[in-house]
Amino acid sequence: MGWTGDGEQGATMTRRAFLHGAAALTAAAAVGSVRLPPALAQPRVMTLDYYTLFHSGDAAAMERIVRAFNAAHQTVRLNLLQGQWAEYYAQLFAAVGAGNAPHIGICHTSRILDVWRALTPLDESRAGNLLDAAGIRGRDYTKTVWDAGVHQGRRYLVPLDSHMWGLWYNKDIFRRAGLDPDRPPETREEFERACEAIRTRANTLAFHPAEDALPRKIRRAWEILFWGQGGSLLTPDGRRAAFNEERGLRALDYLAGMIRRGWNQPGTDGFKQFAAGQLGMLLAGNWYLPTAKDSNVNFGFHYVPRFFDRPTTWGDSHNLVIPRQRPERTSNEMLVAAIRAIKWINEHSDIWGVYGGHIPAFVPAQRAKDLLESDSWKLALSKFTDMANRGYVHYPLIHERAPQVHSAIEPYVQEAYNGRLAPRDALARAEAEVNRVLSS
Amino acid sequence: MSGRSPWPRVLLAAMTVLALLWVAPLFWMFATGVKPTPEIFATPPRLLPGMPTGDHVHVVLTRWPFARWLLNSVIVATATTALSVIVSIPAAYVFTRLRWWGRDALFLVFLSSMLIPLEVNVIPLYFLMNRLHLLNTYPAVFLPMIGMPIGIFLLRQFFVNIPAELDDAARVDGCGNLRILWHVILPLSRPALAALVIYMFTFAWNEFFWSMIALSSPRMFTLPIGLRALQGAYDIDYGILMAGASLAALPALVLFLFLQQSIIRGITMTAHK
Amino acid sequence: MLRHPRLVSTAEIALFLLPFAAFWILFRLGPVLYGFYISLFRWDLLGEVTFIGLGNYATLARDPRFWNALRNTLGFAALAIPLIVGIGLLLALFVFGVRHSRAGRWLEAGFFFPYLLTVSVVGLIWRWMMDPDFGVLLIVLRSLGLGAPPFLNEPRWVIPALALTTAWWLAGYRMVLFRAALEDIPDELYEAARLDGASGARIFLSIVLPLLRPAVLFALVLTTISGFIVFGQVLIMTAGGPGRASEVLALYLYRYGFEFLQMGQAAAVGVVLFVIILGLTLLSFRWLGYESHL
Repeated sequence: MGWTGDGEQGATMTRRAFLHGAAALTAAAAVGSVRLPPALAQPRVMTLDYYTLFHSGDAAAMERIVRAFNAAHQTVRLNLLQGQWAEYYAQLFAAVGAGNAPHIGICHTSRILDVWRALTPLDESRAGNLLDAAGIRGRDYTKTVWDAGVHQGRRYLVPLDSHMWGLWYNKDIFRRAGLDPDRPPETREEFERACEAIRTRANTLAFHPAEDALPRKIRRAWEILFWGQGGSLLTPDGRRAAFNEERGLRALDYLAGMIRRGWNQPGTDGFKQFAAGQLGMLLAGNWYLPTAKDSNVNFGFHYVPRFFDRPTTWGDSHNLVIPRQRPERTSNEMLVAAIRAIKWINEHSDIWGVYGGHIPAFVPAQRAKDLLESDSWKLALSKFTDMANRGYVHYPLIHERAPQVHSAIEPYVQEAYNGRLAPRDALARAEAEVNRVLSS
Repeated sequence: MSGRSPWPRVLLAAMTVLALLWVAPLFWMFATGVKPTPEIFATPPRLLPGMPTGDHVHVVLTRWPFARWLLNSVIVATATTALSVIVSIPAAYVFTRLRWWGRDALFLVFLSSMLIPLEVNVIPLYFLMNRLHLLNTYPAVFLPMIGMPIGIFLLRQFFVNIPAELDDAARVDGCGNLRILWHVILPLSRPALAALVIYMFTFAWNEFFWSMIALSSPRMFTLPIGLRALQGAYDIDYGILMAGASLAALPALVLFLFLQQSIIRGITMTAHK
Repeated sequence: MLRHPRLVSTAEIALFLLPFAAFWILFRLGPVLYGFYISLFRWDLLGEVTFIGLGNYATLARDPRFWNALRNTLGFAALAIPLIVGIGLLLALFVFGVRHSRAGRWLEAGFFFPYLLTVSVVGLIWRWMMDPDFGVLLIVLRSLGLGAPPFLNEPRWVIPALALTTAWWLAGYRMVLFRAALEDIPDELYEAARLDGASGARIFLSIVLPLLRPAVLFALVLTTISGFIVFGQVLIMTAGGPGRASEVLALYLYRYGFEFLQMGQAAAVGVVLFVIILGLTLLSFRWLGYESHL
């Protein structure tokens, strides 16, 4: 540190101090993302953001489709971003609100009533009727799924698939229990006889009604039993709970009875029990197929048994959608490109069946050779497709407040299933909470 | 004290047993991660893997962008740490070495916000980051972790113990504040800086709630968020989950084995007395 | 301290403070105010907002689910805090007792290490150990002849199980801090007490504990606050179940915001948490004297 004049030193330091501060600020600013002006981007290739909620096997299958799309197109490129299940809709809403929504997204059929506000009406968009522009016709799709994609007379959804629960069973355990492994139960009587045989003769866990122990899954199991008697969660106007009645009670009683009769224990994971070869029968979704195949279990697959009046299963559909776009960001030309990409994805959704284990909603894809000759088809998908086409599938509640209504019911149904709450009390409490949610 | 009475030995033996039990869950995690699935679900459970397998690790490393998660965690934690240190040093300096009007009042304001956790702000931060179009980027995760008063606080504790005479001597030599900070204070404050680095790095490395909300695409996940995604996908398969957890714990374990004493010493310095 | 006042200019102070203050205002103070603003609206992320004054707070006050979450949070805090601080203190005394041996350091390292794990790892390990079918903890307890309910599926046991997990995770950190405080107690004090013929217990009660008081009280404040925002281990281990037996405030906030998309109400929960925690902080300033934080 040499001696210099006071003033000079002070000036230097001030400038340096300033530079130091400025550097810190620049560093702070630089971490913000830098956007190139559109003019600098290649004008030839149009990039469309495609945002999904798929993970693991599903995500890999969708990636396969998008890779094929990008290989087949020179002027349009799909930029795939796959998200988390729980926060997906929040993220979609946030992106639409901030004006940077993806050009293509996914929406469950059961969410149309609260999500439609974030979507572009496909038959009345600012670029005209997009369905016509891409040649998307209702007769090419599974009818029930197609029909559910409309809100207030406008179409928002283009169906991608159906997914649902079915009955997985362990053939070896069936044999040990003296049951015919090629004749899984179809009626309630057959089902109960099978459970008892497995419990007493094969001396292992007989049945798991709901994949695992998550409250929403237990609620689905109850709904299957409830819907199978013609029940409905809410009154037709959607203002009040309608499940606290005889059918709802019978369904919950039957569900709780599965534990009482010793077919399983509360809080267990059926996926795991089944894969470990300790469970005779399991109600689970088509997405279980890859795991079932990986396990050493000699398994079979069948329709959900007819527990009450009509055969019913829980199911939903994924749909392709175009989230609401701002004109300054998304030209009409891009909207048309997006709907064409959706059509293309539909046309290649046999891949979605083979690798994702879902049932394509696009009928020609259901008949694709690759799908029909695949392992997945023979092991389970053919029966899933039957269920879809025979009208077994019951959608979950379609209501603006569906997530909250479900969340109001779930703890009580779960507690009843666990044997900690009498079914009658459980339904009464769930009813009170649902009504409170609906009235606020 | 040692040697004179048998107590230390008895104590040591009891402690050793307790410590082994304490780390047993870690052992169980590593063991489960390399057991073939039938062994995982065997009853009674086997302590050691009979036929160790790399299958679960393989699934985690090949089907998931695990290396990317590790990289993301490193980037986020490094950025948080570096920026925190950079902004805290000059602030701590003016709060300790200079006297000015309103200093203590302002410090008290910062101090009272010190214990306010990030978690209470996730909704407004989500709106803010959404407006800035920063959701699902690194800055969205680390920017909110930088203005934490703990940095000033830690450094301040240390700076006040540096004799004022050193400043005065430097001033007589014609040094300005920046020079004093750089040439006098900082060289003497290495332990405090190390403590701050360790504290901020572990904090950012482990942050969960906000990162989970701010990040949406798997390639952007940090390790804790990636593990949660793993759980969502393999709720049924503890072999894969434990393999993932083991891999996530490994960097911390390795680092700790090498830097054990400095990490513990650093943490000790964050004690508030 | 300052001998040359004229060397300090306001501009220079401002410049030194600016980087930190900018972050603090933008990402700490700003969000608190913004959060309060959001909480006055029905706000759905799409940009449709309706001013409803304190309506979201009224909804919270009437929502049994909110009170349940508050009760669970308090229950968790009431168990986790004494466990973390108590175990931490006990371990610190042990470790302090063997501090001169090489092995002592390794023991301390072993107790401390879980603190370096992320909450996901901790949650996954303990969820696996308490799995109702295959959890090794349950199997071991049962083989010892102790009743072991499937902790995570029992409404009565789930909060204690979460508290225990959290104690395993964080007690080591407290231990290290307490051990440091113990080392600050001058050796002469022990020697003097020993010469007076005081027993170990007496030394602990009349010398060690009073001198540790500030460190323990501060640890209590900090753990209380972290108890109020408990989230990660709950999400990973139980997701709030069984039923709603472990739905805590942070999980309630998360659900209302990101599952039900009611951002206004979620923001109101954030404000409530902020008020509680700020209150605790200020209370601790009064209680411990804010100088104790310095």
